Amino acid sequence: MNPKERIKTSLEHRIPDRIPVDFAGTTVTGIHVTCVSTLRKHYGLEMRPVKVYEPYQMLGEIEEDLAECIGIDTIALPAPKTIFGFRNENWTEFRTPWGQDVLVSEHFKTVQDINGDLFIYPEGDTDAPPSGQMPSNGFFFDTIIRQEPIDDDNLNPEDNLEEFEPLTKEDLEYYKNEAERLKDSDKAVVGGIGGTAFGDIALVPAPFLKHPKGIREITEWYISTLKRQDYLHEVFQKQCEVALANLEKFHDIVGDILDVLFVCGTDFGTQRSSFCSTDMFDSLYKPYYMKINNWIHKNTTWKTFKHSCGAVENFMSHFIDAGFDIINPLQCSAVGMNPQHLKEKYGDRLVFWGGGIETQNTLSFGTPKQVREEVLKRCEIFSANGGFIFSSVHNVQPQTPKENLVAMIDAVREFNGRKFI
Amino acid sequence: MEIMENIITGVKDGNGASVRSLTEEALKMNIPAVDILNKGYVAGMNIIGELFKNNEIFIPEVLISAKAMKAGMEIIRPLLAESNIRPVGKVIIGTVRGDLHDIGKNIVAMLLEGAGFEIIDLGADIAKEKFLEALEKEEANIIGMSALLTTTMTYMKEVIQTIESANFRKKVAVMIGGAPVTQAFADEIKADGYAPDAASAVDLAKSLLGRD
Repeated sequence: MNPKERIKTSLEHRIPDRIPVDFAGTTVTGIHVTCVSTLRKHYGLEMRPVKVYEPYQMLGEIEEDLAECIGIDTIALPAPKTIFGFRNENWTEFRTPWGQDVLVSEHFKTVQDINGDLFIYPEGDTDAPPSGQMPSNGFFFDTIIRQEPIDDDNLNPEDNLEEFEPLTKEDLEYYKNEAERLKDSDKAVVGGIGGTAFGDIALVPAPFLKHPKGIREITEWYISTLKRQDYLHEVFQKQCEVALANLEKFHDIVGDILDVLFVCGTDFGTQRSSFCSTDMFDSLYKPYYMKINNWIHKNTTWKTFKHSCGAVENFMSHFIDAGFDIINPLQCSAVGMNPQHLKEKYGDRLVFWGGGIETQNTLSFGTPKQVREEVLKRCEIFSANGGFIFSSVHNVQPQTPKENLVAMIDAVREFNGRKFI
Repeated sequence: MEIMENIITGVKDGNGASVRSLTEEALKMNIPAVDILNKGYVAGMNIIGELFKNNEIFIPEVLISAKAMKAGMEIIRPLLAESNIRPVGKVIIGTVRGDLHDIGKNIVAMLLEGAGFEIIDLGADIAKEKFLEALEKEEANIIGMSALLTTTMTYMKEVIQTIESANFRKKVAVMIGGAPVTQAFADEIKADGYAPDAASAVDLAKSLLGRD
């Protein structure tokens, strides 16, 4: 089996020749740029500045040579623009605050204040207020909230729709080039077009916009899910219409080259609970997800990917009803997220993409022995009857010990050798 | 008293306008500010905290209730200060250096305030020197630290060491929380307590003061 066949077999809930692996196929299954460099060195690959393909979480590109060492079966078809609203083009050298030389887009424009905090600008426009901030000893950006005073009597849903626009001529051209690049790939192609996630709290502050209007503050957004539901329905309704039209154009270009569409990264879970009830999910979010997923299933061969951190065991059947095929990242350290239980109850209806190792604890702070044991156990549970793509629970975090990264990769290989050969 | 029941309902329903007007009405009835606080807001937030703990309500409901309580607090805070009413306890709270995530910390602060604590909220990305400075200035009983990231939670240990070096460690209890934080980590860095969620943080704060 080649990597594409391996993933497709697993997506069809059949058993592939070995457990497929994803890293960097999405922006929630990535590896921090520091760790990419660490792995390149470990495997004796040419040491050169790593490209930061996702500047918000500072995720590093995994080139083909490293992908081969890790055994990755996916390849990304990224959205045309990053979360800061600029295109990844004309790569240029940049020294990070922690002293690593990396490559960033020419539009990655930053300024450092006297405390050493780094500020980044939307669309690379230094005349606009910065939209992201990296503390001096940090490793990622966080969004800067730019909320204008809210006047409840004059709220206009159009203000929260500025970012949901029809794909431009440049976007379509970009996708044509990407389709050309990926058409003969023997890897599973994972992509997203943006605009298909409803109420993703990471995107609400709109770090990609120069002057966001509407409701952009996180607390106000959550309050709106109770107090301004009509407003949100109007936003979601129009956002959905734009997304469906964009999906159609996107599909006309990429067709079956794409295997998996990243639909949504809206987190519904916290460590021990959720951000809303399942009833609210059903009334506020599900109608729009169903429209997106139904269109995809009717018109394409793609599988639909849903990301939600946290304790979402009770949301699983609702995700299934909403038409999602794949769930990520399976944060098994959260309450109620027992791997065996999840697999038994939902494993025949949802593909588990992730869940291979906990990044909040074991991978970051455990011993290599603990990493190996957790990976082997998760693989044993999740790989039964197919429907499992190995990845860590969310992105691999900076400062993860090299020995643990290697132990994770080796354990997957060990499991595959034991089980499948 | 009916008006107190109505204030409780206003807090529970997150109706800030109602809490504000009922508070003014209660003051006109010569009800002491401290009673409005304890028998109205704290009682209402207590119900909210319990429902939140039991997953019967979620973060948005807590946020609107806290906002409603704040609307009333703006009116009675100066009166409480005038009449020298002491809070249940004083908590200095902040997200540690390198970490800009403050939603969890804010919810803990809201629920603590709703339980009658006075909150000194330092904000996010707070260096150990700032925690110490606040400690020197305020007579706080508790320091609360939050971190969302695996790369920043380790800074909590540095804060504790700084407090220790400045001989404040015995005067203040340290409680910690945040997504990657665990009881084992709290034990390791010698924090006095760890709370896995905001509602438990209130119970923890009370128990650290010996008020549970």
